[in-house]
Amino acid sequence: MKTTARFRDPLRQRLLFLTVLWLLTLALGAWLSPHFWQSSTVPYLLQYVPVLGLLGMGQTLIMLAGGPGIDLSVGAMVSLVGLAIAGLYGLGLDIYLASLVGLLVGALLGAVNGVLINIVGIPSLMATLATLFVYSGLAVALTGGRPLGGIPGEFAWLGQNQTWNLPNQFLFVFLPVTLVLHVLLTRTVTGNHIVAAGNDERAAFLVGVNVRRLRLKLYVLSGVLAALGAIITVSWFQAARPDAGKGLELLSVTAAVLGGTHIFGGLGRISGTLLAILIITTLQIGLQLANISQAWQLGVIGALLIGSVAVDSLLGRRP
Amino acid sequence: MNAIPRAYQRELILLAAIGIVCVIFASRSEFFISERNLVTVLRNSVDLAVISAGMTLVIAMGGIDVSVGGILAVSAIIIGRAYQAEWPDAVVVVLGLATGCVLGALNGTVCAKLRVPPIIATLGSMYIFIAVLFLVIGGTWISGLPGTLSFLILGEWLGLPAGVYIIGVVYLLCWAILRRHVWGRHLLAVGSDEPAARLVGIDVDWIKIRTYTLLGLLAGIAAVLYVARLRNVEVNIGTNIALEAIAATILGGADIRGGVGSLAGTLLGVLFIKLMQNGLVLSGVSSLWETVIIGGLLLAVLTLDALQGRRVRV
Repeated sequence: MKTTARFRDPLRQRLLFLTVLWLLTLALGAWLSPHFWQSSTVPYLLQYVPVLGLLGMGQTLIMLAGGPGIDLSVGAMVSLVGLAIAGLYGLGLDIYLASLVGLLVGALLGAVNGVLINIVGIPSLMATLATLFVYSGLAVALTGGRPLGGIPGEFAWLGQNQTWNLPNQFLFVFLPVTLVLHVLLTRTVTGNHIVAAGNDERAAFLVGVNVRRLRLKLYVLSGVLAALGAIITVSWFQAARPDAGKGLELLSVTAAVLGGTHIFGGLGRISGTLLAILIITTLQIGLQLANISQAWQLGVIGALLIGSVAVDSLLGRRP
Repeated sequence: MNAIPRAYQRELILLAAIGIVCVIFASRSEFFISERNLVTVLRNSVDLAVISAGMTLVIAMGGIDVSVGGILAVSAIIIGRAYQAEWPDAVVVVLGLATGCVLGALNGTVCAKLRVPPIIATLGSMYIFIAVLFLVIGGTWISGLPGTLSFLILGEWLGLPAGVYIIGVVYLLCWAILRRHVWGRHLLAVGSDEPAARLVGIDVDWIKIRTYTLLGLLAGIAAVLYVARLRNVEVNIGTNIALEAIAATILGGADIRGGVGSLAGTLLGVLFIKLMQNGLVLSGVSSLWETVIIGGLLLAVLTLDALQGRRVRV
């Protein structure tokens, strides 16, 4: 009985499906462009993983905890925190100190979302749609739409340099964070509480989980992860653009959902999201190297987003 | 269903808010209250007003559509291309409306038949619509379109701008659907409690497809009006209109959880948003602050709604 249960485990099936899909996108990339199947593609590809990856992890945890939870403001938080960091540096603050303050700003922006949703009681979709516009609007309005540059060159080590042929941002930020979140979700009580809250919030509440506080914390975490993404972006591009995070909210939702996270919570895994992000990034890089219009990327990602949820619903993973 | 005095509370509050905003802006800029400016505001509001009427029905049904900007864009390209091919006006208009219907029906079908939650379905379809937009016009504008439809915006009849009649007809029609037709009853039932609606025998899937198609049709009408007004199709067409329509609908008293919606409230919400945008620009505030202010307004209303009687579960 145990083996059949294992065999039918939707998450395992999902991981298998995602692995096959990733191999297919790799094959597609190799078929589309002769430049794709080279060792230099690996660091190039991995460079694009961390920012989206961090946001996707936050999105996964928020969705997993149920509610239903979603954070559409992640991209706007990346833009706004990036500007805060560059702005503080411009005022004479040390760049590392500015990054630290940036993390606090991210936590604050995330806390605003968390309070609006879990204390005030606004549905997450509307609350974060509104903060998406407030945050991204602020980013544009405060700078007049112009990027803030002048980031010191020595700060570029994080976003531009490599160690052991791997981008530093991937090796020193994304990998550890993913590992910690994976352990948090699978090996700790908090992780169990997150899944429990997503599965049945009433039951979770009755056995003593403070569901509201737990979810609030996850929105704060999402803000901090977005701030980490902002630090990487600033280091990488040596500037903070007011539209740096534009569109990332949709990509991060796609990553979480494609990775097998149930949109209404209770089901999902960090490894699934990780595979989904690899798929999305491989697709982007493959099409880019083959010189195919960016529009196709958007179209394919949109189809993936709808398709992955439709398949879940039709196969009857919890209606 | 509530006591009658409460029924129009939201509309009255909005009316008062519009009055206060008008007095404030009029005191800062004389031009604001002039007939010419108010007619301009009205002309700029028509496409948002038309889309918001459909958004009200969709939200009352418990749905949401963030892809209306994409539908507007794709319809506008089809209209632009048909114009460039020098097809007759009537054909061009019908083609634009038909495109809107088809794309709306597509959204509805994905929500209903594939059981995809509306936010995911329309986020995904928005990507796809934007992709279509870029693939067809490839980062350039379609410009210099003929002005044969301009009468829809610039025309006047009995001393009132054409927009008043368009808005009037659309809102009357949507009101009739929502309040005087089974469609509206069933749509509100789906929004209040979908499983219950299914159990009493309502064809929920068909209601969803119809309502999303209606919103698509209205987005197609908005595309015709857009082309008539600006006579070009630019790359970032329709980027903010979904949020503005959702904001107007929520301002107007609709509940994002479904089951509640007011067309009169939505129309007042549209006017409020457009008057704010216009007034802020006239009083010297950069238009870059527009999104912050609309978002902030939306947050304020959501917060008040949430604090007024609804408690967080758990």
